[in-house]
Amino acid sequence: MFSILRINTATGEIRTEEFDSQEFLLGGRTLSSRLVSREVPAECDPLGRKNKLFFCTGVLAETITSSSDRLSIGGKSPLTGGIKESNAGGIVGTRMAQQGLRCIALEDAPKGDAAWKIVVIGKEKTELVDGGFLAGKGVYEKSELLSEKFGAKAGCMTIGPTAEILLHATGIACSDPHGVCSRYAGRGGLGAVMASKKIIAMVVLNDGEVKAEFKDSDGFKAGSKKIVQLLKENPVSTQFTKYGTAAMVDICQALKVLPTKNFRHGVLEGAEKINAQAMYDIIKERGGEGKTQHACMNPCAIQCSNVYPDKNGKLLCSPVEYETMALMGSNLCLKDLDAIAMLNRIANDAGVDTLDVGAAIGVAMEAGLVEFGDTEGAVKLMEEVRNLTPLGRILASGCRIAAKVLGVRHAPHVLGQAIPAYEPRGTKGMAMTYLSSPMGADHTFGFTLRDEEVPTSKEGKVALSKKFQVIGSRMDAMGMCNFVRYSVRNDMTPLLDLINSRYGVMIGAEEFDDVVKETLKIEHQFNTDAGLTAQDYRFSETFYEEAQPETGEVMDITDEESALARQW
Amino acid sequence: MVTVNFKLMDIGTIRVDIHKPETMAKVLQLCCTKPNVDFATIMAVRNSTIVKIDDLVEDGDVIDIFPAISGG
Repeated sequence: MFSILRINTATGEIRTEEFDSQEFLLGGRTLSSRLVSREVPAECDPLGRKNKLFFCTGVLAETITSSSDRLSIGGKSPLTGGIKESNAGGIVGTRMAQQGLRCIALEDAPKGDAAWKIVVIGKEKTELVDGGFLAGKGVYEKSELLSEKFGAKAGCMTIGPTAEILLHATGIACSDPHGVCSRYAGRGGLGAVMASKKIIAMVVLNDGEVKAEFKDSDGFKAGSKKIVQLLKENPVSTQFTKYGTAAMVDICQALKVLPTKNFRHGVLEGAEKINAQAMYDIIKERGGEGKTQHACMNPCAIQCSNVYPDKNGKLLCSPVEYETMALMGSNLCLKDLDAIAMLNRIANDAGVDTLDVGAAIGVAMEAGLVEFGDTEGAVKLMEEVRNLTPLGRILASGCRIAAKVLGVRHAPHVLGQAIPAYEPRGTKGMAMTYLSSPMGADHTFGFTLRDEEVPTSKEGKVALSKKFQVIGSRMDAMGMCNFVRYSVRNDMTPLLDLINSRYGVMIGAEEFDDVVKETLKIEHQFNTDAGLTAQDYRFSETFYEEAQPETGEVMDITDEESALARQW
Repeated sequence: MVTVNFKLMDIGTIRVDIHKPETMAKVLQLCCTKPNVDFATIMAVRNSTIVKIDDLVEDGDVIDIFPAISGG
């Protein structure tokens, strides 16, 4: 049986329910999206009392299997107006599993002037305690205060000051293995949803005593070893270990899809100053607290994360990932890794998504508020976000709102969520994926880039995107890190065998993919019920009218084609 | 001569002589000490275009090889 802990944030009522269904077995996005679909009225106000937030662990949480403790958070998104699943690494999933929880649900909402609360979950009890002392503080300070009060090994989730005032591009920060809330479920504005319920933090204490049980313990150990072996043998995942996701800077530059100058271009002159090798060399040279490889959860055989140090070797930001290097770097024409790391740090402290706010700053630069390439100007804009100035509030509302307020037509988003770090006119496969994700423009979902024979052509991209939508959603469906897919490639058997060893439940590969496809179907239905139409699944018109200079390509994917890619 | 730049890999740059157009797979074999390079784990790019395993490579071409990873 699997437990869901339901917390009514208006009345304080707390109750536990138990289920034994396949969706609770798999957990992750399989569970969170089904719960949202079933329990949240699609047409509701995302920041109102009818929305709910679900925090779900995965099927292999708290085991020795590499990278299996991803936390999936679901709700209705204030950023897109549709369904949202955003997931994060860190230790919260582990702590939840140790408390015997598959899911925590935050329900209802108190009146807006109610006091801030912290949900504290331990083996003895769950309670809502005063959280007023955290209000207005940055995420780093909140994280320290939570560690002091509840211990560095507690699994904590908190929100930034931007979320406290219900801005739409805000995320939920989760504890990493060192007790710092730096692992973000960043996309879709779920930080604001948590704030709307007057929950400023949630803490899962390190006193849980529930141990994973296995139907076939020896088989499980052997199967977990096999996953590690597959990861270590795979040259792709071993490159992650050395360079992390930053290796994408060179690849995207070579393919002319590196977002540059508010997604006007696909090539940045001087991109080598912010590429993976440059970052690797800086981290190695500065030493100190810097790390070129770092695990966001334990155990992890990939360790794609990093710790970027300042000039004195002290931690400046962890992690600095490719998507941020592009959206807060190349897209703003910044060629200074220290500046990108600083922008990332301020964003983490403010509690905003680096992609959405990076894109919003790009829009602000196009509007002429700051010149492209102006490092100091970019940092000042981020400080405006952190200080909650009127301009900062606009930027923290994401690039769609920023573009409307600032009079910029070239707004890089789909469904209001900023386009990730692959310029879509140069990669029609990724463009098809952006247009067909129920979450708004999303890169982890349907990553086609490396399998596109002719990236600039839309031919065959409906089928290619759909193929990778399934592949990309498999890991989310069971609460695993997306990069574990490099171990199993297209054969899920080793992971499905682990489920069998743990629970004695055999799920076939075809059956599992049917679950994944059913999830996508449910998510799209939610969006339709919420009022999203085919016209919403489009890029801004400028992408269709103006060619990207380096490839000469415009967006040519039709509504009919993207609708096919959303059909399950 | 074909120049093959293995980016973000320890291999570095390797130049190989070919006397007629060869497939990308053959060029990789000439570059690498290991036989049977797993093409699924790399991306080959020539003039901003992806080179498939069966595509022909000609004398004078410059090919960049990247680990075929993804962003996070």
